[in-house]
Amino acid sequence: MIVSQIFDMLDAGIVILDRDLVVFKWNRWMSTHSKISSEEIVGKPLFEFYPELNKSWFLRNCKSVLTFGNFAFISQKLHKYCFPFKSYYNTLGYRFDYMQQSCTVGPLRDENNEITYIYITVQDVTEIVAYEQKLIEMNIKDGLTGVYNRRFFEPRLEEEFQRHRRYNRALSLIMLDIDHFKRINDNYGHQAGDFILKALTALVEKKIRIVDIFARYGGEEFCCLLPETSIDSAKVVAENIRKQVQDELFQFKDMEIKLTVSQGVAALSKDIENAESLLKKADDALYSAKNTGRNKVVTAK
Amino acid sequence: MINKILIVDDSPVARRMLRTSIPKDKGYEIFEASNGQDGVEKYQELKPDVVFMDLTMPVLDGYQATAKIRELDKNATVIVTTADIQPKSIASVMELGAFTLLKKPAKAESIKEALSKVEMKLKKLRENK
Amino acid sequence: MMTPEALDVFSDEEKDILQEIMNIAFGNATADLADVVDIYVKLSVPSVQVIGIGDLPEYLKTTIKTDGTSNIIEQKFWGNFKGSGLLVFPGGTERDLMAILEDQDREEVASTQMATLEKGGLLEIGNILIGACVGKVSELLDTFVTYSPPQVLQGDTHNCNFIVEQFDPSQTAIVMKTLFTFKEKDINGFLLILTNHESIGWLRKALKNFMDSYE
Repeated sequence: MIVSQIFDMLDAGIVILDRDLVVFKWNRWMSTHSKISSEEIVGKPLFEFYPELNKSWFLRNCKSVLTFGNFAFISQKLHKYCFPFKSYYNTLGYRFDYMQQSCTVGPLRDENNEITYIYITVQDVTEIVAYEQKLIEMNIKDGLTGVYNRRFFEPRLEEEFQRHRRYNRALSLIMLDIDHFKRINDNYGHQAGDFILKALTALVEKKIRIVDIFARYGGEEFCCLLPETSIDSAKVVAENIRKQVQDELFQFKDMEIKLTVSQGVAALSKDIENAESLLKKADDALYSAKNTGRNKVVTAK
Repeated sequence: MINKILIVDDSPVARRMLRTSIPKDKGYEIFEASNGQDGVEKYQELKPDVVFMDLTMPVLDGYQATAKIRELDKNATVIVTTADIQPKSIASVMELGAFTLLKKPAKAESIKEALSKVEMKLKKLRENK
Repeated sequence: MMTPEALDVFSDEEKDILQEIMNIAFGNATADLADVVDIYVKLSVPSVQVIGIGDLPEYLKTTIKTDGTSNIIEQKFWGNFKGSGLLVFPGGTERDLMAILEDQDREEVASTQMATLEKGGLLEIGNILIGACVGKVSELLDTFVTYSPPQVLQGDTHNCNFIVEQFDPSQTAIVMKTLFTFKEKDINGFLLILTNHESIGWLRKALKNFMDSYE
């Protein structure tokens, strides 16, 4: 049979199950990836080999297809995968423990139009998922430093502002700027400047929590949003960063570079109407730190 | 013995489907009513041995009509015909005193089976008199 | 319930048959649904309307609240019987719908963002409900259909256009509408099944075949 040859040649998994979810067919693709041969699995209940599929969502999808003759779409977004097949490839720098899959379940009818079997097709979408993650990352992260970009930061600031105000929780914001960054570029070159930006963000990230949102706001200007944090605590964090930067000797190739940062700190209060005003308050404080000698932390009034 | 059968359904198509599926060799006299109210009136007038009752109908629905007929005649035999056979729906129909329930579209065999059960009930009723 | 326009396309008898098939199909669907999702579903008597494609956007706009407050799930089906199913839930019911699926054992996606989960839940409910109703109608009419994956529409009018686009503007569509209630959860919504003109000719034959078995 010409058509049946496709069954084993196709670059996708095909499984056929009977009404009791006993395996009726298992194509070569499935054998290759599962390391279970067709001879081994055919005639046995699927759950004997994949007990992890004996869950309400999987049963519901199969039941729906058997009852209504419709299709069930098991998306990668929701389930990641149906069959736990090891993923060996490193796509775009991402490693997935298991092959990401997009699966479809559908009915197979006999000559009387009765649904006697269901099929499951398994598609490997690992590469697509990697591209998707890369795209998302590119969209929300700064290409040079790897911290969040402004496009990601601004809506998050808005969200956090609304949430904290609604529940009357403390929220602080630090704005940070590298002092005389232009001089670093001029004296050591742009490559050194780029290195400093990367080294600084790495240093700051060690000083903050996972829940804090740290972003590159402009050229050498950074923002850090600290949820559930009072202005006094935020000031301690900023002071920590300031001191660490001041004491650090940054080494790029054979150059040793010293630098300092200025910071402005502001917190959510009753008189701040919106996220923009909070940002402006922190920015004003930063400006005042710059104007009163640099290498210091100024708290907004 | 069943002589008269009353079909209560607002859909002429549904009445026709049922009428043609009732065994033709028994010489039943079949009557039709087009809603619950009509059904109750025809029941009083014709005193049928069996009523096939739809549930969703205008004027008076099948639940109300079944209750009313059972109120008028505690021995009335009402077979509910419905497409909705969820266990909860079935339970609420049986509570009203329906004799049994047939899933729509009702197959000739299941109608035949239900009618023979009715015959048995009628026979028992006669014996107990 | 049939509107007068239906008379243009279908005879009185055909209209009665179609209505009864809908009643049976949707009634049977509820029982099967209860089997699959373990919930008591109440479906109203469906209404069947025939609408000119030109009037369809307006119909959709007035029937579905397309102001972004509704969740709309769309799924196409193909075969002799061909068209789109649209399932409409009021906004804010996503969590309750998720509860219907009762997936305590879905721990592997616990870390996934709630929005993705909710969307997935809507799609699954849509797939099951549309599949149940369309599947039953097809079964009674002795045919079967295939489906494309369901999708969640953002609730603005613009997005309804692509539903309209699959129809020839000079033709008519049959619109079947039914209201449904998930009893315990107190969620109400409605289901629209739209079929195109091509299906009408086939449908007429199928209706005749259906009744012929009751001669």
